[in-house]
Amino acid sequence: MTLLRWKRETQERSHQTPVFEELAVPCLASLYNVAFWLSRNAADAEDLVQETFLKALRGFSSFQPGSNFKAWIFRILRNTYLTSRSGLAARRTVALEEELGEHESGTALYPEGAIDRETPELNLIRLNDRAALHAAMESLPAPLLEVILLCDVEEMKYREAAAVLEIPIGTVMSRIARARTALRRLLSSPTRTPSREFRA
Amino acid sequence: MSDHLSPLALNALADGELDGESLAQANEHLAGCSLCTTGALHQSLLKSATARAGQRYTPPPHLQERLMHLAAAESSQAERPELRSQVRSSGSRWGTLGWATAAVLLLLFGTALIVQRNLRKAEVASVEHTALVSEVFDQHVATLAGSLPPQVVSTDRHTVKPWFQGKIPFSFNLPENLPKDTTLDGANLAYMRNQPVAQLLYSIGKHRVSVFVSERPSSGAGDSLVDHSGFHVMDFSAGDLEMVAISDVDPARLAELAGAIRRAQTGNQQQHR
Repeated sequence: MTLLRWKRETQERSHQTPVFEELAVPCLASLYNVAFWLSRNAADAEDLVQETFLKALRGFSSFQPGSNFKAWIFRILRNTYLTSRSGLAARRTVALEEELGEHESGTALYPEGAIDRETPELNLIRLNDRAALHAAMESLPAPLLEVILLCDVEEMKYREAAAVLEIPIGTVMSRIARARTALRRLLSSPTRTPSREFRA
Repeated sequence: MSDHLSPLALNALADGELDGESLAQANEHLAGCSLCTTGALHQSLLKSATARAGQRYTPPPHLQERLMHLAAAESSQAERPELRSQVRSSGSRWGTLGWATAAVLLLLFGTALIVQRNLRKAEVASVEHTALVSEVFDQHVATLAGSLPPQVVSTDRHTVKPWFQGKIPFSFNLPENLPKDTTLDGANLAYMRNQPVAQLLYSIGKHRVSVFVSERPSSGAGDSLVDHSGFHVMDFSAGDLEMVAISDVDPARLAELAGAIRRAQTGNQQQHR
């Protein structure tokens, strides 16, 4: 049976539109959570998610069906964040790699011996202290926090995180190693709350 | 057995990123090394703890509703044939004697639909324009704040224009004669609406100007000038190109530059695509 042109187009649209919503809506909670961590306030997080959502909707035709939608929309979120006002502070500062000395081995700044000086019992207690964990994560520089959010919270593989952050997988690995070492250090000295901002 | 697992290996182990051979080697080492076993355990505990702690913020209930409304508004322009069919089918139910009444009702209904659609279109256009202004502003301020030079640094239009070959899916012209005190500084490849665009960088006196050139069917809304956080944002079009200029310079001088860029496009429309 031949469908009228407008009816066919309407049916095609009705097949397309729900696809975006079906893919995007389940990501909203994750997008908002990461947006809030990055922007540090609810209003900016909402703006960030809304702008990301609209950009993704308008650019949905460029999304390759079958590829990783979550990584795609998180990359839009991150790029939107970087060009937002709250992301400008990070853009104005020196690169983390320059400040800390990025090494693919991930061992330059935090040697292996620095990892576990506390007793296992004390570590376990602190890992269950959510407020301490929040404070430690808030103290992380943005590039380190990003990999923790993507790899731990969003359970992305290194390859997916690398695609979102547009960096090599080796850099993801070294950043996650330094992020976790930094978290352990922060958790082992709760009174120490270094600034999250990069040195200008 | 003498070399302990590196921090990268311990992390990859906790993240499930070790491949078969590496995983077997790591397991073999862990079987005989209590220090690395403790380290691996702590990595896993830390990972699960941060995963739990990281799930901290919940979106407000109105956010999803608002986004769905915006998505519906975006796609509402495509609904016209469907609505028309509803009008037709409702009209066909009336008997012969009710044609006049039906016609009036249809007219009223159609008018209401048109008004509603126009309102939605206006709402969509307003949202899109606000998002565009915000995006342009952010990109311009980011350019001003950044210490890096433009990706192509040249005052020569014959250097700047060819630089974009293969980077953007359209072409454009740069004006040969610029208004007084106006110079071309260079250009960047930027992204707007998730699409590649040309960001032309000019100086008018000491005021920096960004002109974003993108390919987009004209909305027919004509030129517009709005102020955003002290900056003037001028939206104009030429042929298939949409251009947005932003600066804190006097609007009249910004308009002169915009006019020069627009005039430069008129002689070479066939270059697009």
